[in-house]
Amino acid sequence: MSGLSLAPWIMKRPGLLRVLKPVANWYVGAAGWRKLGLRYDDLIADENEVVQKALSRLPKDEIYARSYRLRRAMQQSILHTDLPKDQWLKEEEDIPYLTPLIEQVAKEDNERVELDNLVIERRLPTPPKSQEHH
Amino acid sequence: MLVTAASASRAVASRQRVAAARRFATVVDATGFKVAAVDRGEATTSISVVAKAGSRYEPLPGLAHVLKSFTFKTTGSKSALRTVREAELYGGLLSASLTREHVILTAEFLRGDEERFAGLLAQTLSSTKYLNHELHEDVLPVVSSEAAEAISSPAVKAIELAHAAAFRTGLGASLYASPHVAVPADAVKEFARSAFSKGNVAVVAQGISADTLAHVFQPTLKDAAAPTSSASKYFGAETRVADGHGQAVFVGFGTSGAATPELEVLAGLLSATPSVKWSKGVAPLAKTVPEGASVETLLYSYSDAALFGFLIQGATPTVVSAATKAAVAALKAVASSAPAAEDLKSGIAKAKFRAAQATEGRDGVVASLASGLLGGPSGALESTLSALGGVNASALSKAAAALTKAKPTFVAVGNVHELPYADEVGL
Repeated sequence: MSGLSLAPWIMKRPGLLRVLKPVANWYVGAAGWRKLGLRYDDLIADENEVVQKALSRLPKDEIYARSYRLRRAMQQSILHTDLPKDQWLKEEEDIPYLTPLIEQVAKEDNERVELDNLVIERRLPTPPKSQEHH
Repeated sequence: MLVTAASASRAVASRQRVAAARRFATVVDATGFKVAAVDRGEATTSISVVAKAGSRYEPLPGLAHVLKSFTFKTTGSKSALRTVREAELYGGLLSASLTREHVILTAEFLRGDEERFAGLLAQTLSSTKYLNHELHEDVLPVVSSEAAEAISSPAVKAIELAHAAAFRTGLGASLYASPHVAVPADAVKEFARSAFSKGNVAVVAQGISADTLAHVFQPTLKDAAAPTSSASKYFGAETRVADGHGQAVFVGFGTSGAATPELEVLAGLLSATPSVKWSKGVAPLAKTVPEGASVETLLYSYSDAALFGFLIQGATPTVVSAATKAAVAALKAVASSAPAAEDLKSGIAKAKFRAAQATEGRDGVVASLASGLLGGPSGALESTLSALGGVNASALSKAAAALTKAKPTFVAVGNVHELPYADEVGL
């Protein structure tokens, strides 16, 4: 889904994480999706089969909440304003609700590709040497 | 001369059969794991896991059907796709079937792949994940199309309705999931946990030793409370359902307790199915069934109940009602007076053949052995045959009279405006 990321590498190093976390937080705030009441996973482009399938696996209440967030954000976008500050999404509410499902679907697709392209080797006693290939 | 030769060869066959039956190592070990296995050196091996979790045990309508269709799906160690692809690569067959008493999972494969397929079965029993999206994407579409396909046949519909009318709950539950009742994944998971618990499962296998099986299944099966079903009680009722696919009538009577030898002989005696192609047969009922209608004599035997009846099918409601009258008259005739000696003889012969045939072949062996292991009637062929041979005309007549005293189960499917009512066919 996403391109290369240094995040996992940084997360493993507590010292580096301590230094960079405030920068990351500032960046997330500046990007502004939380000011529109969106979660990060709402921003994932959904015009492809993988994400569509992942969306179809969401529970009904999650689908409803997602639609509501997107509509509200759209309205704010039209008005060129952010939501009132008390309605901003809090950090702990920014849950990756869709990413695990996308990963699950992608894993299934990869497995299918892998199985479609298996090379099967027959374990038979050594075949008699053929004469025509030289 | 011919007779002696025939009886001598029959005696030899009988001895061989006894020997074959004895070679089946039936074990119920201390931990409650039940297994019956025989290795006759076949080129293929088959392992069936029989769980006492048929439709009569389901706590929610359609749960057993969904459970059957949820087999060989994603487990803790393998995805559903990988399971299927690997089975294809190894040339194995994985199947699941459902009866009112049992859910049966079967793996058939080439000798040498025991570890893989037995392991797969054990994994399916113990670690299937019952994922919600799998239920909605893969399982429910199959379940609903299976149900729609089956119910589109008037005969199947009549039999399902007959069970519901005869037993209401338990055995009355349909084998097919209802489109009107939602089955959540959590309910399937919970039912599977109790259905595949250690005491509720029997493994019947051919071409593999019981020790190997115990070794694979023992560690994976868990202890849990088995699903329960109340004791069956026969009610009987009349049901009429409009259907555009054809005409079918079921007329039957139920009893509590498994089918007696008398009932089995009665089913043989009243069978209108000819033994030879393109003939009408010489059985008493076959002579009176009109052209264009077929009468099938059915005997459903369960662990604690039986349903005896006729399934009448035909092109028009008129022939179906004439054939229904003929079938009811034939049953009443046996109930009021003892049948002729030769009819009795052919009835006994048919019943014996049916009993013997039912215990042969893979499915028959699995059904009869598993039933015995799981506490139902055991399918010991020798005793069944001798019991059938001992049925006499007056006992048969008495059994038929007792049967017809109960309230009949009458199901009409098709053109309900013209199909008869129960009181119009002599019931």
